[in-house]
Amino acid sequence: MSRKGVGIGAFDRSRLTSRQFASHGSSLRASNTEALTTQLTVFRSLLQQFAQTHAKDIRSDPAFRAQFARMCTAIGVDPLASSSSSSSGAGGGLWAQLLGGSVNDFYFELAVRVVEVCSRTRGENGGLIGLKELTERVSQGRMEGSTEISADDVKRAVETLKPLGGSYAIISVGHKEYVRSVPRELSNDQASVVEAAQVLGYVSVSMLRDNLGWEKARCQTVIDDLMSEGMLWVDKQTRGEWEYWSPTSMMDTEGVMEPAIEGG
Amino acid sequence: MSTAIQTEAGDTFPFPKDYSFPAFFTRQPNLQTHHAQLEKWSALVLAYARHHRLFRLSPTHPVFHNKKLDRRFAEPDARELLEHMRKDGRVEWVGNEVFVYWRKPEDWARKLEKWVEDTAQKGHVLTLYEITEGEATLGTEFHGMDGEVLLKALNHLVKRGRAQIFGQDDSLGVKFF
Repeated sequence: MSRKGVGIGAFDRSRLTSRQFASHGSSLRASNTEALTTQLTVFRSLLQQFAQTHAKDIRSDPAFRAQFARMCTAIGVDPLASSSSSSSGAGGGLWAQLLGGSVNDFYFELAVRVVEVCSRTRGENGGLIGLKELTERVSQGRMEGSTEISADDVKRAVETLKPLGGSYAIISVGHKEYVRSVPRELSNDQASVVEAAQVLGYVSVSMLRDNLGWEKARCQTVIDDLMSEGMLWVDKQTRGEWEYWSPTSMMDTEGVMEPAIEGG
Repeated sequence: MSTAIQTEAGDTFPFPKDYSFPAFFTRQPNLQTHHAQLEKWSALVLAYARHHRLFRLSPTHPVFHNKKLDRRFAEPDARELLEHMRKDGRVEWVGNEVFVYWRKPEDWARKLEKWVEDTAQKGHVLTLYEITEGEATLGTEFHGMDGEVLLKALNHLVKRGRAQIFGQDDSLGVKFF
């Protein structure tokens, strides 16, 4: 009776098969999801475990910390950004929970110190401080001998300050990186002068004129601009042309000059 | 003016990096920069005076002259600095120079009081000379102290009823309670 398979019963059968397919498909999907969920859970717990067992290393070893942060970036996890969104609800706190107490706090504490140093030195450098010098200053502040801090850490810490507004940023001028703590962009001319000052620690009008091919007035204008923003210090005791010094070289440890006075 | 800059001991004062920064010696025209400059100089002068146990300083003191760099913090600028420090209570003018208070008179007073207590000299009479030059204070911080600064410190104690000063100009004595 069912040999032909073309009777009314065929409809039933095909309906049955398609239902079976559908249920099989959904069960497949379900198991897929389950597998993924398990994987995610495993991954989560592994990462958590990793962060916990290596919390000390993450806190104390700047190279390890940088590697860890890089790994997180590679797998699409931003250990810092996640916590800043913790205010936006449960999902945001995930990584903060996983890594919190070790990584997050580390960068936030560091960020606080970065802000301290930047605002303390703003008078002398106009809010532009070399990343290297800033790192040294920040490290000096924490003499307890605990954690070493790398420039990489400071950069990440500065990035955590982004939500506070546009004033904190990392900028590159020439071959040097700076942290800017004032909401002010350097013009191209200003950046050129800051870059030129990296070479000897200072610039002068004729030096700029000869090296950049600018007119005298343009050199003086840019210098005056930077002076008025506190980013250059003038030295009038040169017996010749005035020299304008970058305050960065004042803080540079491997600076151009050795200690000035020998004792008697 | 060539006050003893390197008489005390042989050890060198570790000058901060700012001191080898040529522009540090030119008065900065930018107001904010100038303020930072004064703060740095102020810290430097205090640390320097503390290191050398310097009680008096003039605006032409050798510390304002970096021979190696051939840079000088000119007298008017140094004067302005000292005036800035006076407002912070860190120096006090005496004629053409200042007392440098790397330790303020009231802090000296506290130290003296403790010393008197520790050495059981309450009720005793000491001359000021004994305190600054006597054997009793050898090895203490009071030895070699500027007489006038000492007197200022003692006056703090007098005000608080912890000491009494008597005697003539150059043979002053003090009794502690």
